[in-house]
Amino acid sequence: MSRATSYHRPDTVEQALALLTAEGNVALAGGTLLNADDDPTPVGMVDLQGLGLTSISVTGDQIELGAMVTLHDLRYNGSIPPVVGDAARAELPSTLRTLATVGGTVAAGDPDSVLLAALLTHNAEVHVAGPDGTGGAPLSNVLAADGPCQGRLITAVSLAVGGTTAHEATGRTPSDTPIVSATARRTDGLTTVALTGVAATPVLVDPADPTSGLEPAADFRGSTDYRLHLASVLTDRVLASLDGGS
Amino acid sequence: MQVSLRLNGADRTFRCAVHDTLLTLLRREGMASVRFGSTSGETGAAAVLIDGALASADIVLAAQADGHEVTTLESLNTERGLHPLQEAFTATGAMQSGYSVGAMILGTIALLEHDPDPSEADIRDMLSGILDRETAYVKPVAAIRRAAALMRGDDVAVFEPLVLEPMTDGVNAVEVAPDDPAPVAPPAVPRLVPSPDVPEMAVVGKPEVKVDAVRLVKGNPAFTADYEMRDLLHAKVLRSPHAHARITSIDDSDARSLPGVHAVIHHGNTARVKYASGGQSYPNPKPHDQVSFDDVVRHVGDRVAAVAADTPEIAAEACRLIQVSYDVLPAVFDELETRLDGAPVIHAEEDTTDIADREHNIVHRLHAHRGDVEAALAAADHVYEQTFRVHQVQPCPIEPHISVAWLDSDERMVVRTATQVPFHTRRMLAPLIGMEIKDIRVIKPRIGGGFGAKQEMLIEDIAAHLAIATHRPVQLELTRAEEFFASRTRHPQTITYRTGVASDGTLVAQDMTLVGNTGPYGAHGFTVQIVSGLRGLTSYNCDNKAFNCDVVYTNIPVPGAYRGYGAPQALFALESHMEDIADDLGLDPIGFRRQNWVKVGDEMNIAPHLGEGGTSDEEFDEYPTVESSGIEECVAQGMRAISWHRRNDPDWRAPADRPHIRRGLGFAFCMHGTAIPFLDMGGASIKLNDDGSFNLLVGATDLGTGADTVLAQIAAEVLGVRLNDIIIYSSDTDMTPFDTGAYASSTTYISGTAVKKAAEVVAVRLRERAAMLLEVDTPGSIELRDRRAWTPDGRSVTLEEVALDSLHLNEQEQIMGTASHVSPDCPPPFAAQFVEAEVDIQTGQVTVVSMVMAVDCGVTINPITASGQVEGGMLQALGYAHCEEIVLDDEGTMVNPSFGPYRIYTADEMPHTEVFLVQTMEETGPFGAKAVAEIPKDGVAPALRNAIANATGARMHDLPFTPERVHRALNDA
Repeated sequence: MSRATSYHRPDTVEQALALLTAEGNVALAGGTLLNADDDPTPVGMVDLQGLGLTSISVTGDQIELGAMVTLHDLRYNGSIPPVVGDAARAELPSTLRTLATVGGTVAAGDPDSVLLAALLTHNAEVHVAGPDGTGGAPLSNVLAADGPCQGRLITAVSLAVGGTTAHEATGRTPSDTPIVSATARRTDGLTTVALTGVAATPVLVDPADPTSGLEPAADFRGSTDYRLHLASVLTDRVLASLDGGS
Repeated sequence: MQVSLRLNGADRTFRCAVHDTLLTLLRREGMASVRFGSTSGETGAAAVLIDGALASADIVLAAQADGHEVTTLESLNTERGLHPLQEAFTATGAMQSGYSVGAMILGTIALLEHDPDPSEADIRDMLSGILDRETAYVKPVAAIRRAAALMRGDDVAVFEPLVLEPMTDGVNAVEVAPDDPAPVAPPAVPRLVPSPDVPEMAVVGKPEVKVDAVRLVKGNPAFTADYEMRDLLHAKVLRSPHAHARITSIDDSDARSLPGVHAVIHHGNTARVKYASGGQSYPNPKPHDQVSFDDVVRHVGDRVAAVAADTPEIAAEACRLIQVSYDVLPAVFDELETRLDGAPVIHAEEDTTDIADREHNIVHRLHAHRGDVEAALAAADHVYEQTFRVHQVQPCPIEPHISVAWLDSDERMVVRTATQVPFHTRRMLAPLIGMEIKDIRVIKPRIGGGFGAKQEMLIEDIAAHLAIATHRPVQLELTRAEEFFASRTRHPQTITYRTGVASDGTLVAQDMTLVGNTGPYGAHGFTVQIVSGLRGLTSYNCDNKAFNCDVVYTNIPVPGAYRGYGAPQALFALESHMEDIADDLGLDPIGFRRQNWVKVGDEMNIAPHLGEGGTSDEEFDEYPTVESSGIEECVAQGMRAISWHRRNDPDWRAPADRPHIRRGLGFAFCMHGTAIPFLDMGGASIKLNDDGSFNLLVGATDLGTGADTVLAQIAAEVLGVRLNDIIIYSSDTDMTPFDTGAYASSTTYISGTAVKKAAEVVAVRLRERAAMLLEVDTPGSIELRDRRAWTPDGRSVTLEEVALDSLHLNEQEQIMGTASHVSPDCPPPFAAQFVEAEVDIQTGQVTVVSMVMAVDCGVTINPITASGQVEGGMLQALGYAHCEEIVLDDEGTMVNPSFGPYRIYTADEMPHTEVFLVQTMEETGPFGAKAVAEIPKDGVAPALRNAIANATGARMHDLPFTPERVHRALNDA
């Protein structure tokens, strides 16, 4: 049941930022999380669909994704790295993928998001706009900081393309949100590994010691020890896959 | 605010509230095809096309859709006939309840726009957001393939069963050669193995299209929520945050003063009338341990109060304004702990009687036996004992519980409700609202799935109380979360088997000790555990058997009826136990079972001791016997289809290229029942119309199973007409004959026989009237076929001529017939369930590759609907085995009351499935039919468990087989 008490559809980022300074206003991207939230606290919806942040542009070895690009768009765009496109498909079922956006996914920082893990391995940068201008920060920093600062908007996410990638996951069923997943990318001899299900957000880990410093929260799908076990096993597998093994 | 849309091709502007979702707007504008399943987009029942993309309308604000193009299923309904996409869904039997078919067809439009020849993977991906508990997505995939072909202009074949040659003589086992090729056909095509005992018929046995297909596939108003009511109020229920507490005070003044609130009810202003929500026939099993609103709450989600208001939002806000003080009491959740001294007493109130041991929360203490188990165990060559624990799951109909109640012009109470048991509901409701049965009318429209969850009077009393309080129509629709923790679930159980085996492999003793967790209310607690005992001790011949059972109260969300009704729990334990015995004795798992399973002519020697009316230890003069069984043919077909020989191939079981994978095959022998003897009763009434068509009125309730179609086929066969000459109506307590309801795999067998009898009454009179017209003095020689009445010498009159003569011309009369049926028999359907699985031995992840079920359900009246039942049943059973579980925290609050955290299988991950329908002739059934609805629930869990054991040696003793659970078992193995 929606808790919206006001609705705004600004045409520019500046208008959106101004609206977001008001108490109780929140940025509405696709709405798959915000409109499903049954917290009765009233909110004002600042719908970002009028901002035109829907382009996918390729420049050299970089792709820039507008914040309002949907996961459905990611899946079907031929320039998107395969592991990112596959993650966009796996992230949500068909009826939600057409609504959920790249920016909303980053803002939510879901610890189980395989899309965020894929973006992390592609050295994603998050572009934000705020009252003090625009800027960018690595996705890993944004996630660690629990999203962009209050009053700022995510406008785009850019990522590096190329390299070889691998993905492994363990879930209750094949399409289940993984209990733990590992996504790896190797380019120019440098390997990055991102894990889901082991921290408050998806995290980049040391490929040689993937569980170092991790203390995953337990839930009914996996205890702390089991999640750490999966982190090790799945990291080994993605590394072996990058090495050309099974 | 104003919202402008291009809706189904027309520019429209609507006024709506800021918080309105697109679903709310569309339904308000009469788009009945867009259906409520959740408020978070998780079911996909409300999916529409927004600018051509499939999206859940329940997660989109109406305001967000402003300026966009929105398309619903209604956009296809430009003519009286069907669009080719709709035609494809009807021809393939892709709808059962049809609740979400609008979303599926819209998704097909979007998919074909992108790719006119989509791959199966892309079809399944498109369906991934549309949850379906009924079809297992098998026939929807076939429908979309067919739709794509039709839209491309390709030729399509008639969708019909693949008829196979029998592999056996129907009695004896055969060797299945490894190189014997399995029949090839798409998974949606039922494999039909005919029996020489079954004659060819005109309508029965044919893959007829469902009689309600047009209504469903066009998204026309059909379900409870689809019928608009002037001045409708909306109800919400305030639910307990505590697992066990006494309400010390309720202050509803703030709620009552909220504008738009019309009534607030709770224990302080509602009569205390004791009842039991479960049961299905008079008298209801005791104890009567519920009241509409109590001053004690016994599970998180229990009723505290209810509000009727102008909108659901106001009603919800009013619930938040009700001030409730609780004296929180200790709670207990585990079925073993609740019996211990010192456990909190859950029903201490004096007005709940007939509790076997109140201080230990034991509602019922059940015992039955044959022979002398202890002596036989003492003398047995081998004795095995194992304990299994099974968990709590929810049926998850995509249409949640919904009721609308109002006082009609005569001030009678009318309740339109999604129920499997309209007559039971009427009887239960009467005392609670202080009205007589004659003053209550219960109408059952189409139901969006029930699976047992709707086999109780569950919410109708709240809607009715509020309708009386407000003198306005009141609708109560549960949220998805309420459906999980405040409707009904499957009983958790702890089951211990002890089995004695002679050195030659013969069973000499078997007993079952069961503790069944019925939560805070008895509901179906007694009968479900009885069925567990019945099913758990009937499959195998053995002279010495015993059943010992405690049914106990706890503070978990309330268990009740769920398709299978105690059998899935029992057969998981039994078929796991039998597998392990065979393994320990070095015997072939099927051969060991075959040596002991019941065969034609064998007595079902404990069945009469475990009845609906109670248990009995006294010997009966006569015991029921098995009269038909196609199990050997089922086993042979299943073994060939699954390539059973691979289970002993080490290279296959441990693939060299995937070192952490082990493969296995598992089997389970399934035996179920068909209706409850001497209890289940169905009535039917048939009348002839002017044009030679017939109205068929039944009290039976089609939950989406195809029951209406099957019953109409039976009538058409007897009357010699086409299926579309039968107009069936079901059900309305004012209009239709009594029926105990849709449960216990009874509708085809019981209600079907009633229909057959009623049709035979009509047929006799048709022959007599036709004989008059044809001037024949032997009406018995007249044959009804092809909508005509024929003399032996080939002369005929049409049934229209008979109708016009009888209604308008000569010795006028309304030809009609009424009949009812109750059966002394309970013929068991049999099945062989096979599962292929892979186990990741490093992570414990189990992947189910294939499920094959071969079922002997007697003569299948409709092979398309019957195979759909098996497909959907296996899907639910797979969820039970593999991934579904209600998880409570330490305080008894469900932590995963939404799809996703509560995992049900989606279209993009369903394993390969195949269904074989093995015909046998069951003489007591209508045209030879037995049941098919529940047996698909019985075998998947043990077959998957046994596949895991075959793959890894790990023996699982609890459900579900989630990765960490299996990982632990692998480490223990």
